[in-house]
Amino acid sequence: MASDSRRAKLWDLPVRLIHWSFVVLLPLLWWTAENGEMDLHMTLGLVMLGLVVFRVLWGLVGSSTARFASFVRGPITVISYLRGLSKSESETSAGHNPAGGWSVVLLLGLLAVDVGLGLIAQNVDGVTGSLNYLVSYDQAEQATELHELGFNILLAVIVLHIAAILFYTFVKKDRLVPPMITGSKDLPTAVTTPVMAPAWRILPCLLIAAALTWWVSIGAPTSLEQFNAPPPVDASEYM
Amino acid sequence: MNRKITAIAALTLGLASAAVYAAKPADIIAARQANFKVIGKSFKGIMDEMRKPAPDMAMIKASANALAGGSSKVSGYFPKGSGPEAGAKTHALPAIWAKNADFKKSAANLVAASKKMQLAANSNNIDTVKAAFPALGGTCKGCHDQFKAKD
Repeated sequence: MASDSRRAKLWDLPVRLIHWSFVVLLPLLWWTAENGEMDLHMTLGLVMLGLVVFRVLWGLVGSSTARFASFVRGPITVISYLRGLSKSESETSAGHNPAGGWSVVLLLGLLAVDVGLGLIAQNVDGVTGSLNYLVSYDQAEQATELHELGFNILLAVIVLHIAAILFYTFVKKDRLVPPMITGSKDLPTAVTTPVMAPAWRILPCLLIAAALTWWVSIGAPTSLEQFNAPPPVDASEYM
Repeated sequence: MNRKITAIAALTLGLASAAVYAAKPADIIAARQANFKVIGKSFKGIMDEMRKPAPDMAMIKASANALAGGSSKVSGYFPKGSGPEAGAKTHALPAIWAKNADFKKSAANLVAASKKMQLAANSNNIDTVKAAFPALGGTCKGCHDQFKAKD
């Protein structure tokens, strides 16, 4: 491989940081929910919201391997890719393969939906997501159940995700984990070098994600009157 | 003699009604869950109103009344035999009956806090309502932690 490949930057820093943040955050979110640490659960949930928003923005303006447009492929491409999996062909393009691209969309989508459900959820102690006041008691009850179901679906997809990584590592001899840590990979010369986004683009994406998260955290006020209204009840006051 | 008959009759009636009561634990469980739902809805009703730019005191009053009514019924909804052994789905833990005095105290805390909330709502002062709220919320968790199973 040494002669017909070269080391290239594959995943930029935001992609890697966000990916591993999910790995750290999800178990924490699960643990806090199971142990009734709802204050922390909601704070971490808002961090998750910020990360998901950032990742979506980065999927529009980030590096070539981070962009949805580069890795979301049509069903025919996906099927023919999956059919060719058994053959030992070397990769023809850098970044997410046609199947993996959809796994990213699915995982991000499930995260987004579950964060959304969490925002309107409530628990039996009267602890509520920051947008709970916008829905009725019964709607919130349903959302709470779906929030739990959504997490379980997410877990199933994560299992699939990890199974795929193991398949690539041991069957296809393509180690996917190291590049997700270091950012770099030996790519065949035939493969076009990924184009990394300039670092300054992180800033506007970060600002938008942070602003949106903050706005949601204060209950998504849509008028100045609402903005100046009393803050939501802080559950920690009676926890 | 007459008094004795009356006493026996009363006892029989009492046992009979207790038997009827105990015969349908599933109904008791359903009724108590409906009652907790009333409490939950009223709690949310107050909480949602509190954060509006102009809270509707009439709404808060209505919720506080419903909440106080529901709260006063809580301890009566836990006759012996209406726990997990009843067969119907319930989150009621056996500790409710094992540590019944503690449970009754927790329920009484809710009643007291809900009455304070009722008074606060009737004072027509939103700040008094807000001041009464944390203690009220605390009684939910205070009881659930010991006596309610997690999902």
